[in-house]
Amino acid sequence: MDRQGRGLSETVWTRLDRKAGAIVELTVRQLRHRLSTWVVLGVGVLLMGLLLTFYIDAVRETFEPIDNDGDSVDADGDGYPRGQEDKYGTSDDPWDGSSEYPGSSVYVFEDDIDWNDDGRTIYANKSWDGTAFFEPVWIDDNYSGDWWDSHIDWRMGDNGEPLLTDCSNWDLQMIYNRIEWGGACFLGDADGDGLDAYYVAGKWRGEGWISVPEEQYLQWGYWTEEVYIEPHPKEMYINEDGIDCFDSNGEKVDCPAADRLSGSHGFDDDGDCLSEPIYEVDENENGILCDVVWRSSNGVVTGITSDQNVDEDPDEQEYIGELGHRMFVIAVGKMAFVILLGLFIPLFLALGLVRDETENGTLHLLLSKPINRSEFIVYRLLGYLAVSGSYVIALSLVVGLIASVLGPGEQLVRLSDLPVWLGIGIATTLVLAAYGSLFNTLGLISPKYGVYICIIFGIWEFTMGSFSIINPNWSVASVSISHWALQMIDAIVLMAWPDTIQWAAMDSAFSIDSGLSFFWQPPVHTLGTQSAGISLLVSTVVLLVVTASCVFVGKSIFNRREIM
Amino acid sequence: MTVGSQQTPAVLIDQASKWYDQVIGINDVSLAIDGGVTGILGPNGAGKSTLFKLMMGRIKPNQGSVRLFGVDPWTSTSPYRRVGYVSESEKLYEWMTALDFVTTLARLHGMTREEATDRSAHVLDFVGLSDVMHKELGKYSKGMRQRVKIAHALVHDPDLIILDEPLHGCDPIARTSIMSVIRELGKQGKTVLVSSHILEEIERITEQIVILHNGRLLAIGNLHAIRDLLDKHPHRILINCEDPRGMAGLFVSQEPVFGVRFPREGQLEIQTNNLSAAHSLLPSIVVSSKQNITSIENPDDNLESLLDYLIKEAN
Repeated sequence: MDRQGRGLSETVWTRLDRKAGAIVELTVRQLRHRLSTWVVLGVGVLLMGLLLTFYIDAVRETFEPIDNDGDSVDADGDGYPRGQEDKYGTSDDPWDGSSEYPGSSVYVFEDDIDWNDDGRTIYANKSWDGTAFFEPVWIDDNYSGDWWDSHIDWRMGDNGEPLLTDCSNWDLQMIYNRIEWGGACFLGDADGDGLDAYYVAGKWRGEGWISVPEEQYLQWGYWTEEVYIEPHPKEMYINEDGIDCFDSNGEKVDCPAADRLSGSHGFDDDGDCLSEPIYEVDENENGILCDVVWRSSNGVVTGITSDQNVDEDPDEQEYIGELGHRMFVIAVGKMAFVILLGLFIPLFLALGLVRDETENGTLHLLLSKPINRSEFIVYRLLGYLAVSGSYVIALSLVVGLIASVLGPGEQLVRLSDLPVWLGIGIATTLVLAAYGSLFNTLGLISPKYGVYICIIFGIWEFTMGSFSIINPNWSVASVSISHWALQMIDAIVLMAWPDTIQWAAMDSAFSIDSGLSFFWQPPVHTLGTQSAGISLLVSTVVLLVVTASCVFVGKSIFNRREIM
Repeated sequence: MTVGSQQTPAVLIDQASKWYDQVIGINDVSLAIDGGVTGILGPNGAGKSTLFKLMMGRIKPNQGSVRLFGVDPWTSTSPYRRVGYVSESEKLYEWMTALDFVTTLARLHGMTREEATDRSAHVLDFVGLSDVMHKELGKYSKGMRQRVKIAHALVHDPDLIILDEPLHGCDPIARTSIMSVIRELGKQGKTVLVSSHILEEIERITEQIVILHNGRLLAIGNLHAIRDLLDKHPHRILINCEDPRGMAGLFVSQEPVFGVRFPREGQLEIQTNNLSAAHSLLPSIVVSSKQNITSIENPDDNLESLLDYLIKEAN
């Protein structure tokens, strides 16, 4: 009994409940009797079925290992993969003019005469590179390379003598001007020692007297003997540089090290970092060459910065299962639930919630009862939410249950997934409430063109939602409803799976490319606290305020509208 | 019908006007109605539906005021607890059964589901639909649909019942049934407003009428009083018979008859200033003429004639 002596069944609130119950029930039954409702809900189920099929297909197949650092390829076609060429210091670049390969003959530098050295004449049998006067006793006329190597073509005659341009009458400046790099000319036996002399500018091999003109440069060395080295199979350079973590004793352990989350980890298993010049191998600037810096906060890894080519080719099979699963959950939650279902369900179900009653003439039946128009709008929206909200929550839990059974892990069902799926269902329900109230209001503002306005608005929301996924910090995207629902999912994911930051960091730091770091980023609206809970609260409040504002505008319009 | 009574009347309209752009719906109408059945008569476009929409708070008067039980229906829904309204709209929820439909709307009065179901079954029985109340409304005839609409308006036992063209499009059996329901409501002491553009229909239901024409209140009062005025005006009686001229000879000597005409072959037109006196002569003359009479019509005894008369009187 209340203060006025009325039983519970007679209080104002109870009567309001009964009216609400009647309108909600009527709305649910109306929606149930409309073909468009079943079409849009059916399409939603089909979409989820299709996505699950892709997921099942992905988890059933063995994951093809990926060569993240690209060192299993043999770009120059010499039979040796790039990783093996890197180890032997030879080039795999088909465009650099080099024909080096592991075991091939290699030029070894010995000495040079610089532009201002004093002693500028020597006698030796070497491979020469530079500008000099050469009085040979022997010339290797097979010493040649490609044209851009600037090897001298001696053009040996039948008598074994070079057939070169005679420049014996030219002065030195004329020789410099006329003989280009890679060329030579005949000077004759000016000193009468029985040996002809030549001006040479390029690379050649031979024995004899060498005299380097003032302000010219010449170096010399020798070529090693060629040896045969067995080419490595290219598989040897796939997944060859895995993620390495170490405990406080320096022992290798599973990542992340339980007793040493932060600090220097990583090991350059394939040597492609350590072989680089020292100044290029400390990108994370911690003073340790070729390592990986892990940062943690409150027991969770929050960032990973790796030196170049360290742990860059991990075994995807070891990580891709978990990363791919989380990516699937988040991508489906954001794209399929929030953006697609979130937009299409209200477009079909909410736009005509009040407008259709007016157009059908059935509004007179309802408004002849003691129910005011504001109540009517709210109860209609509640009815729509009862259908659409229960649908998305049920759908998210069913999809979640199937994915949780199929997902990686030893347990039969990944229980930690279920809060995320429930969160996705709730975030989508809030989006349905916001869009529903907005579309209903647009239908009231412009019964004739409301649907077109809603479609234009939908395109805006889709675009802003997509931008929010790529860059949630972009402030323009926050002027959209989808942005806040996507933020809710980011926050819920972080609350249910606190180590997602670590997985996303591993995904980008070690080039695993699962897509997790594309679809998920830490929530941004934390009011400076970095707390996922605060972000969830802020996003929820924003969506509720948007919904309430749209209802308020709709009710204000409807209250003033004359119904013919 | 009380104007200026001490208690708050069910309906009180004070100098209300409503126009839609250039079109006038209601023009300076003042009216107070409380108790009994009142017929709102007027041709199509006279402003009957506009009047009802003003009463039901669907539209707002441009001038003047409308009160139901002393409350403005545009700003408050509280009067609807005591009002049952049957709109002219034909649309119902076709997929619902009659019982479902009335029960759902009854719950909007704050009834529990059980209460609403009991009350709905009761009113559906009252309007004669208890046998078919579990049938879907989409399968109902026009007359049955009208009775369902009346049932939903009665489900909460209202004091004021507003029926906008409840007989429109109904077959004779349905009309008779609906008319008896309305008369019964009047006997129960309810205030009932019924609109129609057919004089005969209203005449069979009630004597209290309000006549609207071009948005203006043309007449208000007792139908018989108005009809008596009308009867004293020249009226025509058309008789289709074998020998109009022979029949005319029997009429011309009678006092109420001041002229006869033969508009077409086999038809006699009698002109009178006292319609009821002329009608009382008819049986004896017909018998004495020994002719076969195929029809007797009163072309001036309809709403249009009444309106013509009232407009001339007003001028």
